[in-house]
Amino acid sequence: MSEHNAPAPKSADDPAFVLPASLAALRLPLCVVGFILMLAGWLVASKIGEFGDNFGMAVYLTAAVYCITIVLGCLFFVLIQHLVRAGWSIVVRRIAELVMVMIIPMAILFVPVIASLWSGEGTLYRWDRGLEYGVEHGLPKEVWSEKLRWLNQEWFTVRTVGYFAVWIGLALFFFKNSVLQDKTGDKAITDKMQYWSGPAVMLFSLTTTFAAFDWVMSLAPMWFSTMFGVYLFAGSILGAHCLLAVSSYVLQKKGAMRDEVTVEHYHDLGKLIFGFVFFWTYISFSQYLLIWYGNIPEETEWFYVRQIGSWGTVALVLIFFHWMLPFAGTMSRHVRRKPGLVCAWGAYLLVMHYVDVYFMIMPSVEGESPGGVMGVVASIMCVVGMAALLSGLCLILAQQNKVVAVHDPRLRESIAFENF
Amino acid sequence: MSENNEKKVHGVVAEYTSVDTLLSACRRVRDAGYVKTDAFTPFPVHGIDKALGIKPTVLPWIVLGAGLTGTATALVMQIWMNTIDYPYIISGKPFLSLPAFMPVAFELTVLFASFGAFFGMWALNGLPKFSNPVFTDPRFDRVTDDRFFLYVDSKDDQFDQGGVEKLLGDTETDYVQTVVDDDSSDKVPKPFFMMWGLVVGLSVIPLLIVLKMRVSNSSQPRFHVFYDMDFSPAKDAQQYSTLFRDGRAMRPDVPGTVARGEEQADLNYMTGINMEALTAIDRPRAERLVRRFNPYFQGETDSAEDAKADVAEDAGQGDASGQGDADQKTQGSEPESAAAAAGDDTSETTGSESTDTDGGASQPAVAEEKPSVMDTTPWLDSNPLVLNEKVLADGRRNFGIYCSVCHGMNGSGNGLVNVRAQKIISPDWIQPSSLHQETLYADKYPDGKLFSTISNGIRKMPGYSGQIKTRDRWAIVAYVRALQLSQNASIEQFKDIDESERAKVLKEQADTKKALKEKADAEAKAAKEKADAEAAKAST
Repeated sequence: MSEHNAPAPKSADDPAFVLPASLAALRLPLCVVGFILMLAGWLVASKIGEFGDNFGMAVYLTAAVYCITIVLGCLFFVLIQHLVRAGWSIVVRRIAELVMVMIIPMAILFVPVIASLWSGEGTLYRWDRGLEYGVEHGLPKEVWSEKLRWLNQEWFTVRTVGYFAVWIGLALFFFKNSVLQDKTGDKAITDKMQYWSGPAVMLFSLTTTFAAFDWVMSLAPMWFSTMFGVYLFAGSILGAHCLLAVSSYVLQKKGAMRDEVTVEHYHDLGKLIFGFVFFWTYISFSQYLLIWYGNIPEETEWFYVRQIGSWGTVALVLIFFHWMLPFAGTMSRHVRRKPGLVCAWGAYLLVMHYVDVYFMIMPSVEGESPGGVMGVVASIMCVVGMAALLSGLCLILAQQNKVVAVHDPRLRESIAFENF
Repeated sequence: MSENNEKKVHGVVAEYTSVDTLLSACRRVRDAGYVKTDAFTPFPVHGIDKALGIKPTVLPWIVLGAGLTGTATALVMQIWMNTIDYPYIISGKPFLSLPAFMPVAFELTVLFASFGAFFGMWALNGLPKFSNPVFTDPRFDRVTDDRFFLYVDSKDDQFDQGGVEKLLGDTETDYVQTVVDDDSSDKVPKPFFMMWGLVVGLSVIPLLIVLKMRVSNSSQPRFHVFYDMDFSPAKDAQQYSTLFRDGRAMRPDVPGTVARGEEQADLNYMTGINMEALTAIDRPRAERLVRRFNPYFQGETDSAEDAKADVAEDAGQGDASGQGDADQKTQGSEPESAAAAAGDDTSETTGSESTDTDGGASQPAVAEEKPSVMDTTPWLDSNPLVLNEKVLADGRRNFGIYCSVCHGMNGSGNGLVNVRAQKIISPDWIQPSSLHQETLYADKYPDGKLFSTISNGIRKMPGYSGQIKTRDRWAIVAYVRALQLSQNASIEQFKDIDESERAKVLKEQADTKKALKEKADAEAKAAKEKADAEAAKAST
């Protein structure tokens, strides 16, 4: 049906655009419980095994990277909607906008990682062990000293601060303008955001790529893969779409935006989830294939430890449950047109994304089978805690603002949107 | 309309001027229960399938089926080709390695799915369809421009011409028309056949040319369509190349290269030399050996001394090679000539090069003064491998592959290459040693020395360290010892054999000896008789 026949959007003050009270009531409990759970998980992990401190840090880093990837995925979602001037997504874009501001608490939550790096040698990032470490691991001195010019505490910290500065800048720019439009209804704001979305996407892709190299890839300092940034980003954008589907569903169940978000939007989110499940597979397999085929020792190292023992099982879990199952599950149009099912697959993939991040980070930690069952429990505590803390903070922000961009010039088009 | 009544009626069509009027007409027709309907528009109209009540298409299932067929085809094809029909090692991967098959599987899935979507759409829409009865109405031409048409087919179960016309007439339309058979000729115009015939005729020509060439002879040189595929520019082993200064097409290993699985800290095992003893008597040589197997080794001697030692070594190599060349002509004593091979701690220097540079004339005198490096080297006396059936079997297998072509399967020195060389009376051929001479037994020729000879070569024999793994070279040493034993064993060497067995062997030995003697006697007798007979014949 064409948008001209669609009813006009409700007035901006309509209760459908406000965070439901039942959700708003959760914000403080979520923050407090989440914070405690996160610290508890970290502490428990730190007490495990020979390399306890490093293991605790790895658990914490895994949780942080998991949350950051989803927050960044939401930032990218907002940027790309502006870039392509998308109409369909207006009703769900505000959720992504609220989540992307969570990059500010994430910057604070990332401080422990940097602090640990300055606590002396022998931290989680093995490159801080100096020249001898590289030489011991078969790297010629010259190569290793070149690597250390990039991988050292000072430069690493400067870069990290830089990444967060860029992301916070982008998130605040797009969030503040969008919220401003809620009040003024000025259409020029949309033009301004669209204008800046192009450069923003470029900045975003550079910073995320290098952040992935620094934070995750350099955990195995001898290893390198130019694909790695895209690999992390693939999981990130997938997680963002899943979170949007889940949040919209929860918001609608609690009474917000019931008439605005329709089955058509779930259908589109479902399509994007389906597509990005395969994008993730395509990227991670491409990375694997090239390294497997080249079979050069310094490149295979990363995958070698991930193919043997219980990590090999995790790799198979990723193949079957991060690709095949959701790929088959979200393939059908009938599934994608059932909001409950889209929400369920979104929640499922958010769990699988954690397995993926865990698989990236944990095998690089020193020691034989770090943690065991207790280690897994501690990691889950830590990540659930951090996610809950961020959700709580996000709800606080949502309560102060609308959950839909009420004056966006394309809101009417978005509400009337239909798939054919 | 009355003049058309005798013609077959295909359906009724109505014209509309806007999307909205078309859509509302569609809904009315749908609600009236008509199923076999169709709408024609100049551009895609969103929501028309819903307005017309068109059921969801089965096309997705066709695409899914085609896609899965593509995956299966790719996997079956690759597994059949590379694993079953023509097993071929590519990049050292297993014959059946799924990751390598994935890109093709992915592409074929996409290709088949696209074909499924494209041709499935054709099939479901009844395409290709060159003509449609609605085309008979000239007014219908505007459907590609600015008019919308709704068509109700007469094949519909409910179809009743008057009723449909009335229903359509009630909608916002100015024009309702019955669609009748096209009365123009349904013959395909002749030029089409001519074009078709021409295309078929032309397309047969290349085939005919190929067929003719298959069955006829030509004095012309062969025509190479893909020259590089018929004559690969890649070099084969032993070919010459102008790309590199040394003229060799195949590049030797970079010094210090260690093959995968060959990393060994144990230098005794790698060299066959007792390195501790060697260090005591010849430190520079020991260090050079260490450096050869470990490029990162930093010697204790300072570099100047080191360089001097290298020069000395080169000179030594020079005279040893000169001596070796002389030996080749005179079949001289083995140990001295072997120094050329054993002394090649820097294996790049070949005998001929150093002979050229050193002149070689005055060198043999020097070589005679000091004992050969082959004799002074403290070789390992025993095989470092734990000997068992598997080691011997591996030794036997590798001996069969690498050694037997010259030395013969039994080690007597009469392998196929030797047989051939004798037959063509090759001028520079040196007969391979029989391995069953006393100078090659373990007491005179220690295991370590034999290992070194296999690794570095001797006289005409090249070194095999590049082809045979260290462990397998030791296995060959073990097998050679067994081979020597097999040709020269006596029952006394087997102390723990039980008595009945010993008696049995002794009896067999005696029987064999007796049989051999009888045979020899018989032959001698026969020869004598023959000689006598001939003598008698000659005298008569």
